[in-house]
This record gives sequence, structure tokens and C-alpha cells, in this order.
Amino acid sequence: MQTLRVVCYLNQFFGQLGGEEKAGVGPDVVPGAVGAARAVQQALGDAGTVVATVRCGDNYVAERDATAIAELVSLVTAQRPDLLVAGPAFQAGRYGVACGALCAAVQTQLGVPAVSGMHEENPGVDLYRRQVYIAQTGGDTARMLDEVRRIVGLGLKLARKEPIGSPAAEGYFARGLTHNVLTESNAAQRATAMLLAKLAGAPVTSEVPLPTFAPVPAPARVQDMRRATIALVTDGGLVPRGNPDGIEALAATRYGAYEIAGLTQLDPTQYDNVHRGYDTTYVKQDPHRLVPVDVARELEQAGAVGKLHEVVYSTTGVATTLAHSQRMGREIAAKLKAAGVNGVILTST
Amino acid sequence: MRLTLQWSQVNAVRAGAVTRLVGQDLEVNLEELQALGEADPRLQRVRLDLAHPGESCRIGRVFDVMAPRAKLDGGEDFPGVLGALARAGSGRTVALANVAVVVTDQQLQSTGTLALIDMAGPGAALTEFARTHNVVLSAWPGAGTGRSEYLAAIRLAGLKAAVYLARAADDRPADRVEVLDLPAPTRVPPAAQHLPRVAYVFQIHSHQRPTGVDEGILYGDPIRRMLPTLVHPNEVLDGAVMRGFMGRNATTYAIQNHPIIRALYAQHGQTLWFVGVVLTVAQATEPERVRSASMAAGLVAEVLGADGAVFTKIGGGAPHVDMAQAAAQCEALGVKTTLIVEDMSTDGSSEGMLLFNFPGLDALVNVGSSQEVLTLPAVARVLGADDLAPTIQGEVSTSYTGLCGAIEQTGASRLVALIQ
Amino acid sequence: MTPVAVMVGANRIVPAAGIIHPMGNAELAPAEEKALRRRIVERALQALQADVAQPTVFKAP
Repeated sequence: MQTLRVVCYLNQFFGQLGGEEKAGVGPDVVPGAVGAARAVQQALGDAGTVVATVRCGDNYVAERDATAIAELVSLVTAQRPDLLVAGPAFQAGRYGVACGALCAAVQTQLGVPAVSGMHEENPGVDLYRRQVYIAQTGGDTARMLDEVRRIVGLGLKLARKEPIGSPAAEGYFARGLTHNVLTESNAAQRATAMLLAKLAGAPVTSEVPLPTFAPVPAPARVQDMRRATIALVTDGGLVPRGNPDGIEALAATRYGAYEIAGLTQLDPTQYDNVHRGYDTTYVKQDPHRLVPVDVARELEQAGAVGKLHEVVYSTTGVATTLAHSQRMGREIAAKLKAAGVNGVILTST
Repeated sequence: MRLTLQWSQVNAVRAGAVTRLVGQDLEVNLEELQALGEADPRLQRVRLDLAHPGESCRIGRVFDVMAPRAKLDGGEDFPGVLGALARAGSGRTVALANVAVVVTDQQLQSTGTLALIDMAGPGAALTEFARTHNVVLSAWPGAGTGRSEYLAAIRLAGLKAAVYLARAADDRPADRVEVLDLPAPTRVPPAAQHLPRVAYVFQIHSHQRPTGVDEGILYGDPIRRMLPTLVHPNEVLDGAVMRGFMGRNATTYAIQNHPIIRALYAQHGQTLWFVGVVLTVAQATEPERVRSASMAAGLVAEVLGADGAVFTKIGGGAPHVDMAQAAAQCEALGVKTTLIVEDMSTDGSSEGMLLFNFPGLDALVNVGSSQEVLTLPAVARVLGADDLAPTIQGEVSTSYTGLCGAIEQTGASRLVALIQ
Repeated sequence: MTPVAVMVGANRIVPAAGIIHPMGNAELAPAEEKALRRRIVERALQALQADVAQPTVFKAP
């Protein structure tokens, strides 16, 4: 097996430049393994050589962010590594964030595998666990070699493109990504066994985690509806005929803004519907069954509502990712708020 | 109710002058079977192909898969759809092992909606249908045949083929006899009364897409306004229930071999007492969903007197929520539940996996992530979609949901979405 | 899909007339269907004017 070229990244302390007083020091690179990188070399044995150690002060990175990372990536690139090992950062927050950012950048820009290690309370974990394999360490730096062995073990698998086991088995933070795997028994057999265990009062390991959504503080009520501007929004897939904005039928990443100024009705011949999660026959026959412009306009004319906002926002809410849903919601809300809208009726299918 | 399945093992399938079983080789008179299909005026042409395990062959445009079964002693096959209405689930039925009828939908245009079966390679490892000898049935609509008529016609052709093939084993002694004998839930012998009583809640359709008039699902009924109802598990295994025309990640074959029913039967009398099956439909409005959940829970807890229940769904998000509401009501009545779900996330994130969070629903099994994509290598031959060979004969990228049999919501498949 | 709305934290939720026609019902005559739509929209406006502290479902009276 080929000996891998490994580059280590360390902060000022573990790189033996000094303590907190050296946290502002800029990036440098020294040949071979220095400081804590020597533990990495020890863990690698014959499998790899630490060809260089890249170091930088934690404050330097924290204050310069992307530019600092770019500088560090250049230094790493010059060494032509097969693997980057960053840290371990234990509980040092700025260090952990720098390790995560550098690993992510090296993976994306150089296509080189990267691995790090930190304590679960390190802010670098939440920021980078989805993109980077981060081994879980304790907080005790005296156990450096043991922790590094685990990090290096994971790193070697990545570098050799070997399959990576479960988070529990390999000791890394669950990346929160799902991946299909073939198992021994079918789902029905597993469900029966799981039910029997539950009936017997035995512990059960669910194959799906229960979701948690943070509560959303409720906006204050609309005080005077007769002076309020109300907007209509939908995730039911309404689009103008021809779908000019190319709103996707599934897993939408886009939404459209459609003018209704001066309209008392939506003309069904001018609209279409791209949603693939329900039978859209009825809302195509009559778009008001989705976006109630007719009734809203009447209420506006009767004075029950101050103003019907001239723009309807629409997207398709089937198989939309949480991330895109939240982003689109934020963007639409910002536009509505800037336009002086006080309340929204969101029709959801 | 006592059902006897007489299994004949089949290890090879080939065309022959007469349809018969020679040892464990099935010979099929393809012209005769073709004529049987073409007798339906809704179809103008039927083509039959054979696909064998291990062949470099990709079947495209898969609509449904059926298992060859035929009733003996004058019983009705697939009552209400093919045969006359009769109660399924008792008497004797011949069955062929290792053979499947794969029906293709020749009206599908775009490759995006194709369901594929690869008989060899990485795709084959994921589906049971790469291990069966497949009789692939492709049919074209006659003049004036509308879409829903066409689907009803090809489904019927598939069922006729399934019966026709099974009849080859009519007069032979079975290689294996399987007896499925379950008394009514009220008749529990004293020695078994300590066993936990377990029910299965089987969601068989979702009303996000209303069924067509000729889209029979339960004894041929399109179940448009079906409220939760009770059936004996043998009825499900013996042709009373089939997949509707749009069921995603579901095949009639999997229902005929229902894995939950089999798993519960395997434990019946030992670790549990199987008390019955509740059939439900996922409703499209909240009031109907609440009614259905309440009635299903009532049947499970108060009529069947179950201590535990397993749930499956058919469809995507709304059926997922519908199933959860029924299960939550069961938990509220003291019935322990386990649900089979699919990974609902579309970006592979674990926080998108599940749509709901109801108290007590903590025992979840997942059948994998439909949206995850995989690449299948080029193959030597394409069946059922020859005109699309330029795009699907070479390397193909498909989501798992596009591989027939890779994800079965009834729990027949072995994929699981692991969080890493 | 009300339970999903509650779970993700929407604070003001009005159950509408079904997935395939939330603001209508094809089985009703046009005038009745519009009256149904109006009732749902009016309920939505009432919900916007109500004080809520957490996900609240505003059902038909």
C-alpha cells in the first residue's frame, strides 16, 4: 500500500508557537510533524508521512474568516497531500471552527479527504458536522495520542476510499445525512421484532429520529383589519400559464411573484399548476380554490380588509427540503414586510 | 379460515409448444398467452418476453408485478376483478415460486417515470424481481381506449397471465405445502391467552388521487369512500386486495406475499396472537382523516382487542400523516404501535426524515430513502421500453423509487436509510 | 395536514376544505362554493386578529 502524504493543521498552541499571546499570528508551514502533529505521525506509523504542518493563530483565522482560510488552503495545496488532519481541537472553540472550515474548504476545492476531532460542545461541531467527518474527542488534552489514533484511523479510511461505518462504530459526530443500505432482514421482520420488544417493555432503537422544531414566536395580531394590507401566498403550485419562472414540480428551490393589481378574479386560462403531490384538476378548473383572490377582493372592496396586496407568492410544497422551505419563507417574508404587508393568508395543500 | 398454498418450485422458464411444468422447468406457450391477452378489445397488441435472473437485461416502464396463483376446486381467482365475487382466503391455491408476471405501461413517455428492474448488476441486488423468472407483458391500447381503461386492461392481462401460468401446476403434487390457518380473534385457546394480541393496520390507497371507476382495489371495489374495515389476513394473501394504478413503491406481488402478514403468522401462537387486519384509506381532508383514525383505532383496540399493532402506508407525505394519526389514537387507547415509514427527506438530511412527532410513536422502521440517487451500468438488452433503449440501455441514473421492488412500503424490501 | 402545521410551529392555523381544493369544493354549486370560500377566508382574517401564544387551530364554529 502506498504511503500517504499527510498534512496537519494546528493552532498556535498545539503548533508550539506560544499561548494566547500568539493567537494573532499568521499562517506558516514547517516541514514534517511538529508539536501535536507528532502524535499524528505516531498514529500513522508506516501508513503515511506527515510531510508538513500548517499552523495559524486562532484569532488570525477568527478575524479574517474566508481570507484566512484561503491562505491556509494555498499552503495545504502546495504540499500535494492525500489527507488533511486538522486538530484535534478538543474544547477550543475558535480552533474547532478553523479546523472545520479548513477541512470543508480542502474537500471542496482540492477534492482531498479531510478529518478533524473535537469535543461535542465545540461550536465547530454544529457548524461543520454535515460537511466534514469530525471524530468525537473528550476534553482532556493529556489523552492526545488515544484521540489522535481514532482520528487518524478514520482519516485513513477516507483517504483509501474504504466504507465508513456508523457514527457509533467509528466514533464521529453523526453528519445527519441518510444513506440507503441493504440489510439482512426486511422491514416487516424488523417491525415485528420491534413491536414485540416494545410489548415486552424492552428498549427499542427507532430507525428514524423524532424531529424537533424550534417554536416560532407568534407575531402580534393585526390590530385594525380595516386598515391592514393582507397578502395571499400558496405552496399549492399555482403558476402563470407556461410557468415562466420555471418553478419546479418537486423539491422546489424557487418561488414566483405574480401581480394581481386591478384583478377581481383569476382567469383559469391564464394559470396553470405544476404541483405533483395532489390531483390538481380542481384548482386548475378554478384557481380560486387555491388562491382566493375573488373573495379577498370583495372583502377589500367592502372595507373589511384595508388592502389586498398586489403580489401573490407561489411555490410547490411537495418534497421541498426543510432548508429551501425556510429560505424561501424568509425571503418572501422580507419582501412582504418591506412592502408594508400586515398579515398573510398562506394556502397549503 | 384455512388457506392451503401448494407451491411448485420453478428454476427455469422457457417458451414451449405446451404450457406445462417439466420437473422444475416451466414451459410456456407464449402464443396462447398472447392470444389470451389480445382477446380484450381494449388492447390491440400484446407482446411477451422472458427475462431471467443473471441476464444483462433491464425491464423498463414497469406498471405492476403479479405472482402466479390459481385457485383449485372451483375457487375464484382475484375475485371481483378477474373472477366472480367470492370470499378469498380459504381452500387450496397453487402457487409458482421464482416466477413473476411483470406488466409494463406502454403509454408512459418520459424516462423519468419509468420503473426499472435490472436482472443483473448492482440494481439486481436491491430487488426480489431480479431473482424471479419474469414473464414481461407489454400491451398497446386499442383505438379509442382511454388512459384508465388501458390501465384496467393491462392489469387484467397481468392477472390472467398470473393464473394461466399457475395452472401449469394444477395436477402436480406440490413441492411444498404451506398451510395458513387462523381462527377468528375471539377463539383463542386457553394455553395461548397470555400471548400479546397483535393486529396489522394496512393502508391500501391514498385519496390524494381518487381511484378510477374501474380501479378495483378491495374485491374489485375502487374504495372511494372506504371507512376502516376488517378482513382476515388470508384474504389479503389470496387475491382480495391489489395495488391501485398509482401506488408508489408497491406491487401486487408484495401484497400477495404480504411480508407483515407472513412475519406475524411466523410468530403466531409462539410470541404473539395475530388477531386480524384493519384496512384503511389515507384521506384527503382533515375531518375524514380524523374519522378514519378514530374508527381504525376503535377496531384495533375495542373490537380486535389488540395489545399491539403494526402500521404501513402507501404513498408519500399525506398518507404518512394519516397513518400516524391512526397510530397515535391507538397509543392513546393503550395499544403499542410500530410504524413502517420511508425517509421523507429530499436532501438526505436526517432532520427531514420524518414529518410528524406524535406522543408514543417512538418505534419506527424505515424502508429507505426514495429520493437517493444511484447509477446503474449499461446493459445488453432492454425489455418493455425498447424505443427508449438509446437513453436507458446505457448507464442510467435513477432514484431508488424508480427501481421496482427496491423500496416496498409494505416492508418486503431490505433497504434501510441509515443516518451517518 | 393540520398536524404538520402544528408541528413545524405555525401559530395561526385554519383547517381548509381538503388537499385537492383547500379553498373550495367542486361538489358544490358555484354560489355555495364561493360562500364556503368566503367563510374560510373570513376565519383566516379572524385568526390574524386573534392573540395567540402557540400553534392554535381555528376550527369552524
